[in-house]
Amino acid sequence: MSTSTTDARTAAPDGGSAPTPPRDGRRTPMTPSWRVQRERLTAGGFMAPAVLLVAVFLLAPFAWTVYRSFFGDTRTSPFSWFDNYTLFASDPALFRSIQNTLMWVAGTVLLPFVLGLAIACMTNASRFSRLARLCVVLPYALSGSAVAVVWNFMLTTDGAVNQVLMALNLDSLAHGWLLTWPGNSVVMILANAWQATGVAVILFLVGLQSIPPETLEAGALDGAGGWQQFRHIVLPQLRPVSIIVIGMSLVNGLKSFDLIWVLTQGGPGRATETLAVSMYNETFLELRPGAGAAIAVVLTVIVLAASWLYLRRQLDVKGE
Amino acid sequence: MTLGRVVRNGTVAVLAALWLVPTWLLVVNALVPAGSYSGSPHWLPQDFGLFANMAQAWDKAHLGPALGNSLVYSVASAVAAVVVATFAAFATIIMPVKRRVLWFWVIYSGTLLPLQVFIRPLFLSYAESSLYDTQFGLVLIYTAIAIPFAFFVMRNYALTLPREVIEAARMDGASWWRVFWQIHVPLSRSAMIAVFVFQFVAVWNDLMFGITLTTSRNIRPVMAALADLQGNYSNVGPPVVLAGALLVSLPTLVLFFSAQRFFISSLRITR
Repeated sequence: MSTSTTDARTAAPDGGSAPTPPRDGRRTPMTPSWRVQRERLTAGGFMAPAVLLVAVFLLAPFAWTVYRSFFGDTRTSPFSWFDNYTLFASDPALFRSIQNTLMWVAGTVLLPFVLGLAIACMTNASRFSRLARLCVVLPYALSGSAVAVVWNFMLTTDGAVNQVLMALNLDSLAHGWLLTWPGNSVVMILANAWQATGVAVILFLVGLQSIPPETLEAGALDGAGGWQQFRHIVLPQLRPVSIIVIGMSLVNGLKSFDLIWVLTQGGPGRATETLAVSMYNETFLELRPGAGAAIAVVLTVIVLAASWLYLRRQLDVKGE
Repeated sequence: MTLGRVVRNGTVAVLAALWLVPTWLLVVNALVPAGSYSGSPHWLPQDFGLFANMAQAWDKAHLGPALGNSLVYSVASAVAAVVVATFAAFATIIMPVKRRVLWFWVIYSGTLLPLQVFIRPLFLSYAESSLYDTQFGLVLIYTAIAIPFAFFVMRNYALTLPREVIEAARMDGASWWRVFWQIHVPLSRSAMIAVFVFQFVAVWNDLMFGITLTTSRNIRPVMAALADLQGNYSNVGPPVVLAGALLVSLPTLVLFFSAQRFFISSLRITR
């Protein structure tokens, strides 16, 4: 198998522009073409495991899913063009799923960003805040499933949130938090923010520490107040980190599955599904693989578009 | 200025307290003996039933085999992914390879796609090739899913390494294989550890492949077992479920505290 990859590459026309450093010429007395070929074969061998695993386990299934999305739900159904994609307009469950996904995107971008930035800025200077920071970062070490268990305990009918509301004589506010839309989606977004803000705090702290203190001193000399310093000196210099935090939370929000799955399985009545959960439900519970494949493709397109936000920058800096 | 400081410290304290509440309740109620749980959450610890609760969770959700499995999956896939990705990074950055950009995208593209897009074809082909519900099958997919990102990090790291050492070694007639193991790997060690930590946590926390590609209790990973335990919430009672969640989170929590340096650097390198 590994030779096939290398062959494909070595068989390509090289036109004499092969990137052979001259130092090899001194070392080996072999003819150049043989030496180049051997070098490439070795390089191919080094790359082959990664390329093969990714191609077989990720890229091939991806291609198959895209292909599958153009066929109906039964095994023998004919090519049906974009029928599966029109479900987004006609199926109320999928429409709700899109609404939820949009809510998740807004919530997972805004909350960790704003809270992370605020907590990082407020705890950057003082010393006692190490402890406070730890409280916020700690949930990041939990898995999505464990977070779901904790928040189920908070949100069930006889859970902690209702208990607090009762104790405060706010009985009218106490209810089954996970039972009615859109409240159930909102509380799950909050649970997600509880976990995800830790990463944003760490990233923002790294960003804050890389700001040269001279810029702040210069601002203070010119009479800038605390807010002005933040707005005009700190914030612009945090731009690169901000883009990364936003892009990361956006993609994570779109992909989040564990939390919703363990808390509600997308229910009640498919009310809390996001696209990631809908795909799973359609494929494995409703047994509609065509619809599931179409959802997966749509989700992929959205995730790719979101990734572009921060990849563009990163690959510009580090890529070739 | 002092008023500002008071306001700031007050806000920090309130936010930290809010954040701590779920964690606090998790620990406190996991401590409450399951038998004496009164039906509503406890806010202060009373008695110490943690180990009994964990033992009960262990029995009810068959956590023993699940923890063992997840340890195997996490270690094996993370190690395999780090090694394979470092090979590929070495090849595309250090060795003379044509079409570096193409190879970069072929390998890296895997990390951009959501898992949902792989899951059904994998499920079907696993069922056909008898990889379904086997430990080897899970290690394979976890390794594959970890490679693109590990490759991205290792490649970026390789770009920062000095070329002179490797060029000198090549001049002296060392083979690429030797250069890789004796020069490149030792130089990349810190990045490799960070990637290992990152991928270990990712595999440990995975739920989706666990519930899709396995069924039997002695194959499924730990998060699938936890989801199962959560499904029995009303039967086994909150203290047991919370103790179970705490138990399965211990490895990542320990990793978080003991390897904080690598944990943080694994975050930084990544993004």
